[in-house]
Amino acid sequence: MSMDPQLHYAIQRRRFLQQTGLGFGGLALQGMLAGEGRGAEAWTPPSGSPEKVPAAKSVIWLFMRGGVSHMESFDMKPALNHYAGKTISETPYAYVQESERLKRVRVVVVNDANGQQRNTIYPLQVGSRPYGESGIEVSDWFPHTGSCIDDIAVIRSMWTTDDNHGAQVQFHSGRHMLDPRTPTIGAWVDYGLGSLNENLPQFISMGPRFFDRSDGHYLGPAHDAVQLKIDPKNPLDFARPQGDMTAAEQRLGFGLVGRLNHLAAGQYPDDPALEARIKSYELGFRMQASVPDIVDFDKESEATRTLYGFDRKETRPFGQQLLAARRFVEKGVRFIQIMHGGGAAGAWDQHSKLKEKHSELSLQVDRPIAGLVKDLKQRGLLDQTLVVFATEFGRTPGSQGADGRDHHPYGFSVWMAGGGIKGGVVEGATDELGFHAVENPHYVTDIHATILHQLGLRPDRMFIPGYKRLEMDFGTVIDGIL
Amino acid sequence: MEAIKPIFAERCYACHGALKQKAGLRLDTAANLLAGSKDQVVVRPGQVEGSALLARVTSEDPDERMPPEGKALEPGTIEALRAWIAAGAPVPEKERAEDDPAAHWAFQPIELPPVPGPGHPLDAFLDVQRKVAGTIVQAAAPRSIQLRRVYLDLIGLPPTRDQLHDDRPWEQIVDELLARPEYGERWARHWMDIWRYSDWYGLGKQLRYSQKHIWHWRDWIVESLNEDKGYDRMIAEMLAGDELAPADPDVVRATGFLARNYYLFNRTTWLDNTIEHTGKAFVGLTFNCAKCHDHKYDAISQQEYYQLRAIFEPHQVRLDPVPGETDLEKAGLPRVFDDHLDAVTRLHIRGDEKNPDTGLVIEPGVPAILAHFAPPIKAIDLPYQAYAPGARVEVQEAYVRLAEKKLEARAEALAEAEMEHTEVLKKIDEAVKPSAGMFLLEEAFDQRNTNRWEMTGEGWVFEGGALHQQVVARDRAKLRSREQHPRDFDLTCRYTHTGGATYKSISFRFDASEDGQRAHTVYTSAHAPGPKLQVAHVIQGTSAYPASGRVKHPIRVGETYTLRFAVRDRLLNAWLNDVFLLAYRLPGRMPGCIELSAFDATAAFDHLEIRSLPEAVELTEPKGGDAPPGDTQTGIAVAQAECAEAQAELDSVRAVIAADRARYGGEGQADKLAHAASRAQAEWVVAKAETAFVRAHPDKRQAAEKVLAGAKAKRDQLDADAQSYTSFRASVKALETPAHKPSDYPPVYPVTSTGRRSAFAGWITSRENPLTARVAVNHVWMRHFGEPLVDSVFDFGRRAKKPLQAELLDFLAASFMASGWRFKDLHRLILTSEAYRLGSSNRDADAATLSLDRENRTYWRMNSRRMESQVIRDSLLHLAGTLDLQQGGPPLDPKQGGSRRSLYFRQSRDTKSAFLETFDNANILQCYRRSESIVPQQALAMANSKIALDQAAVIAARIRGSDLIGEAFETLLARPPSTAERAACSDDLDELDKIQGDAALLRARLVHVLINHNDFVTIR
Repeated sequence: MSMDPQLHYAIQRRRFLQQTGLGFGGLALQGMLAGEGRGAEAWTPPSGSPEKVPAAKSVIWLFMRGGVSHMESFDMKPALNHYAGKTISETPYAYVQESERLKRVRVVVVNDANGQQRNTIYPLQVGSRPYGESGIEVSDWFPHTGSCIDDIAVIRSMWTTDDNHGAQVQFHSGRHMLDPRTPTIGAWVDYGLGSLNENLPQFISMGPRFFDRSDGHYLGPAHDAVQLKIDPKNPLDFARPQGDMTAAEQRLGFGLVGRLNHLAAGQYPDDPALEARIKSYELGFRMQASVPDIVDFDKESEATRTLYGFDRKETRPFGQQLLAARRFVEKGVRFIQIMHGGGAAGAWDQHSKLKEKHSELSLQVDRPIAGLVKDLKQRGLLDQTLVVFATEFGRTPGSQGADGRDHHPYGFSVWMAGGGIKGGVVEGATDELGFHAVENPHYVTDIHATILHQLGLRPDRMFIPGYKRLEMDFGTVIDGIL
Repeated sequence: MEAIKPIFAERCYACHGALKQKAGLRLDTAANLLAGSKDQVVVRPGQVEGSALLARVTSEDPDERMPPEGKALEPGTIEALRAWIAAGAPVPEKERAEDDPAAHWAFQPIELPPVPGPGHPLDAFLDVQRKVAGTIVQAAAPRSIQLRRVYLDLIGLPPTRDQLHDDRPWEQIVDELLARPEYGERWARHWMDIWRYSDWYGLGKQLRYSQKHIWHWRDWIVESLNEDKGYDRMIAEMLAGDELAPADPDVVRATGFLARNYYLFNRTTWLDNTIEHTGKAFVGLTFNCAKCHDHKYDAISQQEYYQLRAIFEPHQVRLDPVPGETDLEKAGLPRVFDDHLDAVTRLHIRGDEKNPDTGLVIEPGVPAILAHFAPPIKAIDLPYQAYAPGARVEVQEAYVRLAEKKLEARAEALAEAEMEHTEVLKKIDEAVKPSAGMFLLEEAFDQRNTNRWEMTGEGWVFEGGALHQQVVARDRAKLRSREQHPRDFDLTCRYTHTGGATYKSISFRFDASEDGQRAHTVYTSAHAPGPKLQVAHVIQGTSAYPASGRVKHPIRVGETYTLRFAVRDRLLNAWLNDVFLLAYRLPGRMPGCIELSAFDATAAFDHLEIRSLPEAVELTEPKGGDAPPGDTQTGIAVAQAECAEAQAELDSVRAVIAADRARYGGEGQADKLAHAASRAQAEWVVAKAETAFVRAHPDKRQAAEKVLAGAKAKRDQLDADAQSYTSFRASVKALETPAHKPSDYPPVYPVTSTGRRSAFAGWITSRENPLTARVAVNHVWMRHFGEPLVDSVFDFGRRAKKPLQAELLDFLAASFMASGWRFKDLHRLILTSEAYRLGSSNRDADAATLSLDRENRTYWRMNSRRMESQVIRDSLLHLAGTLDLQQGGPPLDPKQGGSRRSLYFRQSRDTKSAFLETFDNANILQCYRRSESIVPQQALAMANSKIALDQAAVIAARIRGSDLIGEAFETLLARPPSTAERAACSDDLDELDKIQGDAALLRARLVHVLINHNDFVTIR
């Protein structure tokens, strides 16, 4: 789709002004843009606040890199035990592999060893039991998450189109690896919503990333997540002087920079860049104090720290990130994106040793996640905080090698909690084998649409002129869980 | 009707407007609409029922409904349409139809417009629009600000204080800056943005995007700009340097522009990028919009998109050798060439590569709307240096040098081995004499005994009367006897396997040399699948585990064993818990020491005894089988074989060179020499097999013998007229898919090139092309004025409105072409205008001007800009006097920092400089215009980064005068401080002085503050 030249300049300016958080009356930009007819409704920039009363204020986005086996987490499939060892074509569900049903997948790496059909049914490697009043069945790898199930809406009918790890990019942006890179959901939230806290960035990322390390893309680098580390000494790049400078000296320095810039404004009146720079120095100065404070957990009680799993080495790293996330939510940060599992392919990628590795990985995340949900709830924050648990794709019902499962984009599970989402409900379903999403199937952007909707934004307004978005990019709000 | 029109424009005009009239229907005016399609009337005034238009937009049938793509029209729109029809379909007055697509301003020929007034032509053109708008220009900026501006614009480095006081004529300074080598670097970075420069990246070692050594293309950009090569020639070299000057690597390296788009996994994605960014960069057309369907705004059909693809269809990427280096990992030249001359291009239906239109063969071509000046495509014969890179003289020389070096080294190794053998024989003579007297070493491991043992590595603990090794490792922590053991000895040790990871071995080395290069070992391993006792050898640093030295035996963790082994000369016997397990002949003996260790295991050594082996003790001989040869004899044999192999290699290299020279260069009898080369290569294969055979472990000897026999047979069966030799694989083609490997491709490439890319370049650089020069001068203008004349710098298609200064654009474009497309002339033209030297402040602006044109559309003042990230870093280093101005070469690791200019940092998806990224570094995927964000992270980077703090101190140390504040302002901001600024600084320095009184530090802090001043990173 072509760039819209009439608007290009204006967009650049508008973005610039928005990034700087300046109101700007002199520029008849609004009118200029509104004058460009874009169909029934003229494009207008987001106002920086929700368009309607929002159900949620913040999002905590937990993403399991690789693919979590849906049949062994939140979509248990006893049929796999029943047909174990048989090929799919020997079951009554042979039709799931009809080529017409598989055609949606787009292959990046032709003849790759990954993303293949695996035909011999592999039995479930873990047991399960029902949890809560809702009685939703959850695998024994996620007992703590299970204990929160009445606050969770499980979506069992996800599908995507990348059969390899580009699916990680796809889940965040809605676009396949072979398409151009486009803004991620966090970037759209950052773009659409204003700040609730003047001392902190609005979009924060923790944990490993791989194929796509930026978020803003055509929205600009100002909408990239600010990458943080759980290290009070150095939580973000350039957070403290990389040299010998005391806090007192630094305060003086920032003070003088501010005074001189104000004086320069006399030389250069009505210079939005200069005004923005003054503000950016003020915010920068405050950020370097407030960010380390967030990841300093000394102020949290022992009980809280234990709730997040600080007491075990397996759960501590993820638990620290989740506790930091809660603290950011309390301060009004809009979108906290936490990726779990290192490596290029992501740790959740059990082409072999599924039982062993999924046990280890679920152990790392299960208790911290349940701790987060419970902690948010006890503090009355869950209502306004949307927690999302997602992954790239599911895993094949058939076995890969002796003890693994391959990538499976046709049907898989994610869940959402808080922020106005109904608890203890199940949305959609896969077939008996867990192969296809058959009931209320949802593409990944339906999750995005639901998030935007809960934040009080209109998904269909999330575009800027010159960059075509397809219907599929906007997604559809999942009404069933609201 | 007016309410509906914008919707029609958005949803319908692409097919029913000026661009296209599907079914003969146009909807761009009410009159056209009422005229209907070629078959029917679609709207009858007043008759809502039966309107074909309404029927189509409201149809439930997806095949019927209009518009066919996207959602249906909104109910409100349909209602408005219905109301309009009901109202009698009134035709608004003065309705204007959509313009003819070919009449678009940017598609009109570029003609030099007459200059509309006296003075500098740029000012004359700008004055026309200023007069229309009623705006009055600002005064010129102070000269020092002008100088800072022009220095930063042309060389990317601020002037020094001396240079700020340069009072030579402006033109002379501009000329001097244009002649500086730093000019090429500054402007190369701009074009690297536009041309998407990226170093290679992928997954681990797998290259997926771009190419190794792509920096040759970067150096070509820098050098081309410095020598003021015409832009037309630059484009031609980038698109088709391999066809224009096939034997000249200095030209061919320009094709890095195309090689950068290489993508391992998907050829369509690769070519899509090539087409899209060739269009956007050079002609400002969004070809990419026509991949799935006809372009919605420009007259570019989907078929024409695939015609453009056909231009690039034959080309592939390869790494050619550079003089003096045969290892392409270390050095090489990435370039393109036409490989698949007959590759067929198909239109992908709806852009789906899985669904090609097999009924239609797409021929190469350019969009018809601008095709009248396209040159014909002519195939190009290539010189052999291009298609047979292995036959280039400098490559041949490199191969000979390499083979000669190898032979030399191996001859030396042989001499050494022979000498060593003589030495060893002497020593063995001494060692083989059974030692006089009794040797006895008894060790209870109660405590450390440093006289007796040397202990290395971690994990050793004496405890409970045993020596424990508690750390599981494979690093050979060891206990080594200080004294050598006798040749014939009897060793008994009681020890416990206490644990471990995989191999769980406990080892007893003897004959162990100090350097670890030689030893024999007896060990027990509790490795679960195959516990055993094993005799092993380290010979010249290489370990061998012969099958004849292995006995399967249950060894368990937690159990205590008594191992005994006795050695007489080369005969070894071993017992475990008093059970005889093994008789074995050692390959050779050397004097050495005893070493105890645990490998991948923990152990507890309880008791050890080593004594001379009495002659009376009888040892058992192993059954059957030759003893392995002595190691130094093996060494000589191996060295001899390797020497012979190197000689055979050199012979074959020379024979191949002679054959290639005959085949490609016409020197000598081609047939005869080709046969000789084939034979020499076969001999080399035999020699390689000989070496492998000699080196083979006894267990693998049989297999090696077979390979050798096969090689000999092949050589002997070589036909008298065989010419099957292989030229050097001096060049490596980039893999077409990950399933391939480099050796799947022939080492010699096609002898012709299709000429498609040359013709395409000829079309782009034709003086008749209305776009190329306009797009280029717009880019240059933007980088001098902060704003472009045409806002959409990569789209000059129909959606780009005619710019306010269209005449000026044409004047610049025509002048640019007339000067031979020389950028330096264009800079000179722009920079000598008054407009370029205007002040950038609004302060003393005429009130009317301010209200009429606050946006500065008429250039009544200069626009301020933020420095690009590279300029910020380079300026800091330059003002500190620490910038290293060395030019060119392989990219540098940004993590290492250093003091070279920033454009030399490696930049890819995976490697980025954190500092540069913070200030909107170029996006490697698309960057026609840098973003200029202002975010708090930038404040932190300038305030806290090492580079800012360090350089501040160095800059401060260079300010020597008494007026610190004044000189610091001048150095960093190119202007004196105001009284108020001076006072603020002075107050602050006093405050700081109270905290700490170091004078040098105070100066550094003031400079640091000014580095953080808005006007440091701003080009005023």
